Order: sequence, then structure tokens, then C-alpha cells
Amino acid sequence: MTTTAERQMELTLPMVADIEIAAARAAGNLARELGMSSEKIDEMTHAIIEACINAREHSGCADNRIYLRFVGTSQDDGSRIDVWITDHGRGFDPAEARSRRPAAGVSHKRGRGLQLIEAHMDEVSISTSSGGGTTIHMVKYEKKES
Amino acid sequence: MTEELKVAVDRKPNGAVLYTKGYINNVGGEEIANRAYELMDAGVRTLLLNLRDTKIVNSIGISILIEIIEKMIDKGGTIAFCCLTPVIHKTFQIMGLANYARIFDSEDAALKELGL
Repeated sequence: MTTTAERQMELTLPMVADIEIAAARAAGNLARELGMSSEKIDEMTHAIIEACINAREHSGCADNRIYLRFVGTSQDDGSRIDVWITDHGRGFDPAEARSRRPAAGVSHKRGRGLQLIEAHMDEVSISTSSGGGTTIHMVKYEKKES
Repeated sequence: MTEELKVAVDRKPNGAVLYTKGYINNVGGEEIANRAYELMDAGVRTLLLNLRDTKIVNSIGISILIEIIEKMIDKGGTIAFCCLTPVIHKTFQIMGLANYARIFDSEDAALKELGL
């Protein structure tokens, strides 16, 4: 029988310099409570940092806030963390953003945030609409060694 | 909140080692660039960045590191990195930085290989 334990956290953060570190630390603390490995936590925190930077730099939102929700789940076979990062900005076209980026491994100065998010997380989905804001939902898994 | 990056320089007979401590973001990247360009202007052509005390980088900081590498390549020099965390190593590979700068596991290995 699988047992499940959930921990949840919600944060609303102002879009100020380095606020992404506060978001990453909060998620990291939750992940440590779940027993996630440091390597998985590092990958997740780097993805959260990029998502927060994208929201701060590109959303153009009027309220200057980033809304975060973390849900950590422990099960017999491992743990997972779901992260939602939302802004109330102008939205964007993910397909267009992906089409502009260079291939992985090719040196390019900007436009890598979404690529890094997708590389560091196990699942990423984006809900966005013109003028309706953006929510990035990302998941990190850690399977227990059997 | 701010996460100030600290940079220390160790001049070597044939180049220099830069030690970073803290978050490499836009401000941290510019701090590294300032120190690197001072060294380049002073004639240094082999530069090792030891990131042992840096646990977080972001894509803006890395874009500045790429600019430093490009300037050093234009001058005919070499930049290398050592002591990266696994996630920073992975991030460097995705960003393409690993194509233009050598990456070493340890400072000793880097110093030996670079002849510093």
C-alpha cells in the first residue's frame, strides 16, 4: 500500500532584484524536508530561478508580483515536488520562444531561460495567454533506490 | 534582498586564478568581468575561474561569462573553469560555454594542464 504525505507552501513575492533566491531557498527547504538529494534540489532551484527571472524581466505585469505554489509529496517509491510560478503579465508564445533559441551546447548569450528550465526539471507545462498572464508548472521527481 | 558576489584574484607567473564566492547573476557577472578585463589589460592571457564557493548561477550571469571568454579568445588567450557543482556544469554545457572554455574537476589539475 502506498502512503502519501503532502506539504504545501504559497508565496507572493515582489519583483525586486534577486528575489528569485528567496523562491529557490523556500523550495529547497521543502525538498530537503522530503529527503530529496542535493543534486535534484540544485536542479530544481536553478529552474525556479530562471522562471522567476523570466517573469520579472519579460512579463510586464502591473502588480509587480510573482505568485508561487509548491506541493511536496512523499510516497513509498520516492518523492515529487510540483512548482507553479505565476505572473499576471502580458503572456508569451512558448512555441515562438522555443523557435528562437539555439540548439543546446551552442554558445548564445540570451534566451536560454526556458531551455534551462526544461533541462533541469522532469516535467514542464506552460499556461499563458495574451494579456492573461503566465503560469509555469514544473515537476521534479526523486525515485527511491530499490 | 541582494546576493553580493565576492571575487578574489591570485596572480600566477603565467596568468591568474579568479575565485568567486556567491551568486553569479548580472551584478556578479559584471564583477567577474571587471576583474577579468583588468587582468587582460595587464597582459594576462591565461585565466582560471575557480567556482568552488559558487552554488548558483543564472542565465544572465552565464551570458556575461561568455562575453569574457569571447574577449579572451579575441586576444588569443585561454579561459578555463574548475570546481563546478554538477548542476552548474550541466548548465554550462546547455549554454554552450563548455565549447569555448575548458572545465576541470580540480584546481590542481587545471593549474598543471594550463601551465599556471
